[in-house]
Amino acid sequence: MTDSPFRAEMADVPRRVSPRVLLIHPLRMLPSLLLPFGGLLLASGFSPTSVAVAALGVALSVAVAVVRWATFTYRVSGDRLELTRALVSRSVRTIPLERVRGVDITARPLHRLLGLAVLKIDTGAGGDSQEGELDALPLREAEELRGVLLARRAMAVSATQPVEAPAEGQPPHGAVPAGTSAGGTSAGGGVAQGAPRGVAPDGGRVIARVPRSWLRYGPLSGAYLLTPFALIAGAVGVVYQWVGEVRVTAETAASTLEWARDHMILLVAAGVLLVLAMPVAGGITYAVFNWDFTVRSRDGYLVAERGLLTRRVVSLERRRIRGYELVDGLLERAAGVVRAWAVVTGLGDSETRGQLLPVTPREWAVGVVSEAIEPFDAPLRPHPPQARRRRLFRAVAPWLVVAAAALALGWAVVAVAALALAVAGIALGLDRYRSLGHAYDGMRVSVRQGSLRRRQAVVERRAIVGWRLRQTVFQRMSGVLTVIAGVGAGSGGYHAIDTGESQGVEFAAEVTPDWLRLFLASPRP
Amino acid sequence: MRAPLRDPAHRVSRRAIALWFVEAIIGFAFLMGAALLIAYLLDRSGWSALPGWMGDRLWLLPVAVGVVMLPLVVLEPLLRYAVHRWELSGDVVYARSGWLSRQWVFVPVSRIQTVDKAQGWFERALSLATVEIRTASHAGSSTIQGLDYEVAAAFAEELARRAQELRDDAT
Repeated sequence: MTDSPFRAEMADVPRRVSPRVLLIHPLRMLPSLLLPFGGLLLASGFSPTSVAVAALGVALSVAVAVVRWATFTYRVSGDRLELTRALVSRSVRTIPLERVRGVDITARPLHRLLGLAVLKIDTGAGGDSQEGELDALPLREAEELRGVLLARRAMAVSATQPVEAPAEGQPPHGAVPAGTSAGGTSAGGGVAQGAPRGVAPDGGRVIARVPRSWLRYGPLSGAYLLTPFALIAGAVGVVYQWVGEVRVTAETAASTLEWARDHMILLVAAGVLLVLAMPVAGGITYAVFNWDFTVRSRDGYLVAERGLLTRRVVSLERRRIRGYELVDGLLERAAGVVRAWAVVTGLGDSETRGQLLPVTPREWAVGVVSEAIEPFDAPLRPHPPQARRRRLFRAVAPWLVVAAAALALGWAVVAVAALALAVAGIALGLDRYRSLGHAYDGMRVSVRQGSLRRRQAVVERRAIVGWRLRQTVFQRMSGVLTVIAGVGAGSGGYHAIDTGESQGVEFAAEVTPDWLRLFLASPRP
Repeated sequence: MRAPLRDPAHRVSRRAIALWFVEAIIGFAFLMGAALLIAYLLDRSGWSALPGWMGDRLWLLPVAVGVVMLPLVVLEPLLRYAVHRWELSGDVVYARSGWLSRQWVFVPVSRIQTVDKAQGWFERALSLATVEIRTASHAGSSTIQGLDYEVAAAFAEELARRAQELRDDAT
């Protein structure tokens, strides 16, 4: 990235976030104020006192927003970012730039209207309280600041250690809160985020841009299927807040029940409508969140950008990417599409932040992750036939037990349903077995499992911090065991389920011969 | 065919048998209490969905629990003592644990982040200790129970020292 006067100006001078947030904060508080004050006004009539109280409340919330804005400053000083909150006490949060693992720029609709964005700094520390948040910066400033944060990070790293991770002995904490209190964490800022259209067009090579027509694959993932129910639940919650005063008595309950009995057909129809609405609403929600999904490569970072209303930009540090996961459910596999996540060390909220690709055709997705991260094309080795027997048993037997119990108790309907599920379990078990596999291509390890949600992980060998081999009694009787590669990223452990006993041990020994050499029963020559 | 791995070199302390026995007894007491409670409540409620032959013999539930679990209470500590072993060779910690199920854990010292030595109540009474070896991943972490306190202290010390020398942050 090129230098800009903006950046020079940014250094070492304490700066405030944009005053335009003053428009946002009270607006965002409005809904929560509306109900109590509305209730107050309704309950006590429009007496001068109640109106005055309501007005005071609004004024107070504005005043709080102003004070927050006026007392919060940030500055980049040397190799640190300092977030200072000085109201009564003074708290300074210092984030060394070398600890910055990623920068997340988010723009919610209100912020976008005002040309603002929220910048979040991921330091790899656990918990939100350890992360930095600037709410809100003008979009251009957010992008500049990200450039500064990430560029200095890259420089600091290359100056000290060319390839490997940061200096030894660093605790797994990222930010170092200095000063008096933790008040400076999110107390002030923690509200909105925003940045308008096209947040990160500044340079960077586009690795992938997902065409809008592919948004149609969204519903296949089963994501957001519960949207209609969530909406209803939200509406019910609001209604409850409004009518919180209404006492629920036995009488009202009885009358409600009676009404429900009289309008059974109506209720059933509503239920059916809701269920029918699931894929539609889910698809729309999916499209809103994954609109124009773009993956870029820039300055040692992978930058994923997405969203229609809320535009979200996540930067993942390449040095910390240890591999990727490909996930496809049953429907997705039938359609030949797949989702992809990056496996990143020390990434908080990795389910949303780590996402590399939404639902996209498999071949294309594999091409993208191969380019963005690294290719892996070693064939997966199948697991022994005992594994198939165990998958089948586990998918079928529980339902047979349920069916038998139901028969013993004389519940015919349950028994039939359980039997049907047992039959379906045959297909499921066979498919689970087909999914199983593991491989090693000399650099990376891959394991795959699952049927309803199949996932294949590809992880670098050097990311493995240990092995765990597990064998239950039943596995022992079948002569199989589960090999778990411990990885300090992603889900922490990647399982190769039900490998043969020698197969599993040899797999671990093949990947990290030095670690197992001394412990094999028949040491290799 | 068994997993082609040799036994780790060291057994845990013999006193660990006593520790596991006490723990098993406590677990058994809770289970028995629950079984008795369920039988009592079912008996009082007179739940009609149960077939008659079952309803009349509710006392069978605690008896069955006792018959099945009591031998295990004796067996578990002995089996654990046979299975639990550990070793540090070639800068790799190799530990085996379990009783009915088994686990083998391999943790290279270079990837260790913290080494903890912990003692519970019973462990203190028996002067035993547990060494917890943590890496960046829970799946690559290891817990070695039932070590003699002196042995655990020396082992933790040795691990911490070697980890310092070998530290490698490629998590």
